[in-house]
Amino acid sequence: MLEHAAPELFNGLILGAFYAVVAIGLSLIMNLTGTVNMAHGSFLTLGGYLAFTLVAHGTSFWFALIIAPLLTVAVGILVERTMMVPLYRRDPVYSLLLTFGLSLIAEEAYRLIWGSRGVPFSPPADLAGGVTLGFMQFPTFRLFIVGVLAVALGLLALFLSRTRFGLRLRAAVQDTEMIAALGTNTQILYMVNFALGIFLAGLAGVLAAVMFQLSPTTGNQLLMPAFVTVIVGGMGSLYGAIAGGVLIGLAISLTTLYIPAASEVAMYVLMAIVLLVRPRGLFGEEGIFG
Amino acid sequence: MKGNLAASAIVVVLLIVAPYLAPLIHLDVSILSEVLLMAIAAMSVNLLLGYTGMLAFGNAAFFGLGAYGAGLSIKYFDVHFIVATIIGVVAAVIGALIIGPFLLRRRGIYFALLMIAFGQVFYFIAYRLTDVTGGEDGMNFPRPWFGFSAWHLQLRDQPFYFVMLAIFIAVLAAMWYLIRSPFGRTLVAIKQNELRVRYLGLNSDRFIFVALLISAAMAGLAGALYSLLIMFAFPLMLDWHQSGDFVLTVILGGAGTLWGPLVGSIVYVVGKDIISTITPAWQIFLGGLFVACVLAFPKGLLGTTLDLLARRGIRVEEEPAVVGTLESSRAK
Repeated sequence: MLEHAAPELFNGLILGAFYAVVAIGLSLIMNLTGTVNMAHGSFLTLGGYLAFTLVAHGTSFWFALIIAPLLTVAVGILVERTMMVPLYRRDPVYSLLLTFGLSLIAEEAYRLIWGSRGVPFSPPADLAGGVTLGFMQFPTFRLFIVGVLAVALGLLALFLSRTRFGLRLRAAVQDTEMIAALGTNTQILYMVNFALGIFLAGLAGVLAAVMFQLSPTTGNQLLMPAFVTVIVGGMGSLYGAIAGGVLIGLAISLTTLYIPAASEVAMYVLMAIVLLVRPRGLFGEEGIFG
Repeated sequence: MKGNLAASAIVVVLLIVAPYLAPLIHLDVSILSEVLLMAIAAMSVNLLLGYTGMLAFGNAAFFGLGAYGAGLSIKYFDVHFIVATIIGVVAAVIGALIIGPFLLRRRGIYFALLMIAFGQVFYFIAYRLTDVTGGEDGMNFPRPWFGFSAWHLQLRDQPFYFVMLAIFIAVLAAMWYLIRSPFGRTLVAIKQNELRVRYLGLNSDRFIFVALLISAAMAGLAGALYSLLIMFAFPLMLDWHQSGDFVLTVILGGAGTLWGPLVGSIVYVVGKDIISTITPAWQIFLGGLFVACVLAFPKGLLGTTLDLLARRGIRVEEEPAVVGTLESSRAK
């Protein structure tokens, strides 16, 4: 029993880590600007393809792991400054539609540039193979994924709670006008906040490119579970997103093992149950999004 | 008021002669039927988005439930055209009754997120129930019975268009009446200032719930008729990308206007038809349309036109939800 379930649970944990990272990126942007970034998955895919292209041109995987997300951030900032800034003061439907349109354009553009078939992207030699820990063997790269994502989230938590800039960011989520009145340039807050979310997406994209197959829809496939993660974890809560992501990852992997046909529906059932018990989600904060 | 009525009459006459003019510019009559059905689906979104101020980003679920409800009932029970349509509408309303309680009390982007997420359930059900629904490939079903004899309607031809036109005008008239009724006025009031509505002792959640049911019925009607038009139902009809197209159609035409959804639908359906024959990468143009619409025509084509007319001193009496008041008191 455990021998069968343990590898699946581990895979569920990895899935959950991806969901959590995507969901936290979404949450950061949503909490500060009220924008649902439908193009978040496209940025994730872009990170994957950029890393793929870098490695194909002879750079090392480690270089690509850092540079590809940074390049993605550059694209993200360009999009944010030119198109999204004018929409912050408008009804959220406009930024929803804009980012949705951008994701359509991006998907087709990736198809034109890199082809619609998935491209193979294998992990570097140091991370191939497996490690035996106790009773089962773990593929090294999957352990590496969990490690990298955990470190990224840890650094983000430190940044938000221990630096002046992080504190301002959190204060702006509570009351943007007040923080602006106290002399903080909120435009820089918006930009850095968006960049943080996109960096996480780009980083997850590089890892997802190796873990799953890299295709124009890789990121969009992670987007819907990430939405559910935000809801289950609770709008406005970053720790909730981690808990929600892991919970959903485990639910999906267990249903895949026992009732494969219900694997997608499982997370919606979970979401319904959570909302019935806790209408704001597991760690939903009062005040933000009534 | 008289001017409005005259303008409406002209549009209706244009819609009646459209199938005779369409061949002149190489448009298939079925494209015109699609325009009307897309307009009905967009009106279902407009009721929530344009009039009530709720971010309805999940109406494809109801659209698809209507399509599958009609399609399955014909495939397995060979029912009459009208019966199939009614079953489709009922399926959509049942769907709304199931997810509606989860959406109650949610506002703004939280409502949008929950509606997107819960709507996707139906997509995955259709996708996974391969034995019944044909799964990813969708399902074909035969041409339905129409009338009282064995006369089968030639669905892709003009008779079907005129049936669709009659239904469209009926829905439009119902919408016109609904928005002017006390119920409709309350919806508009909720959009403008929900707190005040509650102070007046009205339970706004209940109004929004009923609006959701009406919206679902309209989307289900559009979905059922659309599947009967193409004699096919497929999971992507239920997908949130389809919802996004509905919202685009509403904003493109003009949210909160009676005729906006039709205007948006004409641009969307005809534009898509023309572009997809030119290039396989039409998705780029569709996405570009989203971006252009948001950045250049936030009030929609109809809304912008009315603004221009007003600036020249020509005032067209509009509906209670004045064009372009999407920016309401509803802040983050």
